[in-house]
Amino acid sequence: MTFRAQGMRAWLLQRFSAAYLALFVLAAVLWLATGGSADYSGWRALLGRPVVSVAFALFFLSLFFHAWVGIRDVLMDYVPNLKLRLLLLVAVALLLMGLAVWSALILISVYLS
Amino acid sequence: MTMARMRFQIYRYNPETDTKPYMQDFVLDDVQPGMMLRDALLRLKEQDETLTFRHSCGEGVCGSDAMNINGTNGLACITPLAGLREPVEIRPVPQLPVIRDLVVDMSQFYHHYRSVKPYLIVHDPEPEVEFRQSPQEREKLDGLYECILCGCCTTFCPSFWWNPEKFRGPAALLQACRFLVDSRDQATAERLEDLEGPYRLFRCHTIMNCVNVCPKGLNPTAAINTIKRLMVKDMI
Repeated sequence: MTFRAQGMRAWLLQRFSAAYLALFVLAAVLWLATGGSADYSGWRALLGRPVVSVAFALFFLSLFFHAWVGIRDVLMDYVPNLKLRLLLLVAVALLLMGLAVWSALILISVYLS
Repeated sequence: MTMARMRFQIYRYNPETDTKPYMQDFVLDDVQPGMMLRDALLRLKEQDETLTFRHSCGEGVCGSDAMNINGTNGLACITPLAGLREPVEIRPVPQLPVIRDLVVDMSQFYHHYRSVKPYLIVHDPEPEVEFRQSPQEREKLDGLYECILCGCCTTFCPSFWWNPEKFRGPAALLQACRFLVDSRDQATAERLEDLEGPYRLFRCHTIMNCVNVCPKGLNPTAAINTIKRLMVKDMI
C-alpha cells in the first residue's frame, strides 16, 4: 500500500477518532454527572493538570479530524461540481484549522498565566 | 383465491420516437396463483408488442430481468405477483441510461466489473496439475461466487448514484472480494492497491441497499468490509 492511501487513511482516522470521541464524551458526561467543576477556577484547576489537558487536546483533534472526514464525504457525494466542491473543501479545512488553533490557544493559555 | 385482475403502470420510453418517458397503464386479467412478474410482463407484451424488457432463464439464474418493482430493485422472474401493491409500478433499474422501456445500458456496470479483474491472477509458473484447494479454502468463496451480475445492487446503491464513474459499486466489489479471498490468487497486493483512494471502494457508507435487494441473498457490504480488513492487514 502506497502513501496515496487517502481512502484507507481517512477511513481509519474516522474509526479511531470516533472511538476516542465516544470514550471521551462518556467520561466527560460521567464526570459532570458526579459533580464536575462548578466554576471557572474549578475548570482552570482541572485543565491545569497535563493529563486532562492532553485528553482535551486529543478530543479536539479527534473532533476536527472526524468532522473533516465526514464533511469531505458529504461534499464528495453531494457536490458534483468540482470547482464548487474544492471551494467548499478549502473553506471547511480553513474553518477546522482555525478552530484547532483557537482550541490549542485556550488549552495553552491555562499554563501561561 | 387470488385476485383475478391486476393493474400495472409501466415505464415506457423509446428515445427514437418519444420526447420523454411516460407511464403506461396495463390491466392483466385472469391472474393465476403462483404467477411471477415475468409471466405477467410476457402476457402484457401480448397486449402491446412494443413493450420491451430483457428476460431469459425465468428462474433467477441469468440475471437478465432486473427492474425496479414498486420502488425496489428485483428480478421479475422470481418476484411473485401475489403481495405486490397495486398498481404495480415497474421502471427500469435506476441510474443507468435507458435504451428502451425497461432495457438499460449496462456498459458502466460492466466497466466496473472488468476493472476489478474478475479472474485468477497467478504469477508462479502454472502447475502441471489443476490448482488444488482445500474444502476450507473453497468455503471462503461461498456467498461471493453466486453473484449473477444482474445489477440490482449497484443500481440501487446511493453511492453509485452519486459517483457512478468512480465508485466501483457493490457488485464489482463483491467480485473483487471473491478473488482476494481465493487461495489460488496471487495478486492480493495489486488488487488492494487498485481499490485504494477515496472513491473506488471508500465511497461505500454501508447504506446496505445492496444487501436488501440482492435476489441471491448475498451480502456485498460484508464483502466490502472484508476488503477493508485485508487492506488494514496489508498496511501493517
